[in-house]
Amino acid sequence: MDNNVILLIHPALGGIATLAALWVFVDTLNVSEASRSRIKNVSVLCAVLMWLTYIIGGYWYVVHYAPEKAIIKAGPWPFAHGFFMETKEHVFLMLLLLATYLPIAASGNIATSKAARKVVLWVAGLIVPISLSMEGSGAILSVAVKIGLLFKQAQGG
Amino acid sequence: MENSEIGKYTKSFGLSFAITSVVSALLVIIKESSEEGVLALMKAITGHHWVTQGLFNLILFVALGWAFSRANKGEGMKMSANGLVSYIVGAVVISGVLISGFYLLH
Repeated sequence: MDNNVILLIHPALGGIATLAALWVFVDTLNVSEASRSRIKNVSVLCAVLMWLTYIIGGYWYVVHYAPEKAIIKAGPWPFAHGFFMETKEHVFLMLLLLATYLPIAASGNIATSKAARKVVLWVAGLIVPISLSMEGSGAILSVAVKIGLLFKQAQGG
Repeated sequence: MENSEIGKYTKSFGLSFAITSVVSALLVIIKESSEEGVLALMKAITGHHWVTQGLFNLILFVALGWAFSRANKGEGMKMSANGLVSYIVGAVVISGVLISGFYLLH
C-alpha cells in the first residue's frame, strides 16, 4: 500500500473515533433504557477505531517515519518532531487506554445510575479534546515536512 | 429510579487507567533520560521502544484492572463516582503535563 494512503487512513480513523466518543457523550446526556445498547455499541466502535488508528499509525511511525523525521529536523521547524511528535506518540498511548476503558464504563447501567453516567461523560468528554490535539499535532508534522522539503529545495538540495 | 451504583469493573479499570497513565508518563521521562540503559532495553525487547511501551501499558492496565476487581473478596473496590472521576481526570492532566513538559524542556 502507498505510504501516503496509510497517512490518510490514520487520521481519518482517528477522526471517526473522535466522533464516536462525541456521540457517546451526547447520547449519554439524554440516556434512556432504549438508548443504552446503542451507547454501548458506539463506545465499542470508538475503542475499535482507536485501536485501528494506533495499529495503522504505529506501523507507519515505526517503518516509514525515519526519512520524514530527518527532513523535519534539518528544516526550519525541528520543534515539530522534538515537541509535537514526541508528545503525540506518548500521549496517544494514554488516549488508547482511555478509549479502551470507555466501553467498560459504558457497560454499567447508565440509564438508572447517575454515578455510572458521570464516569462515561467524563471519559468520553476527555477523549474528544485529546483526540483533536492528536489531529492538530499531525497537521503540524505534515506542514513541517512540507516546509522542510521547500527549505531543502531552496538550499539546492 | 435513580441510584448511585457503579460496576466493579468500571471502578477497577478506571483506577487501573489512572495508575497506568501516570506510570507510562514517568516511563517516558525515565527512558529518555537513560538512552543506553532503559531505552536500549526497551528497543531490544520488541525492536522499537514505543512498541514495547505500548505493550507494557496494555499488560499493566489489564493486570491492575483484574487485580483491583478481585479486591474485597471479589466484590471490587469501594469508591464513589466523584473519587473515580478525580483519579481519571487527575491522571490525564498529570500525565499530559509530565509528557509535554518534559519534551518542552528537553
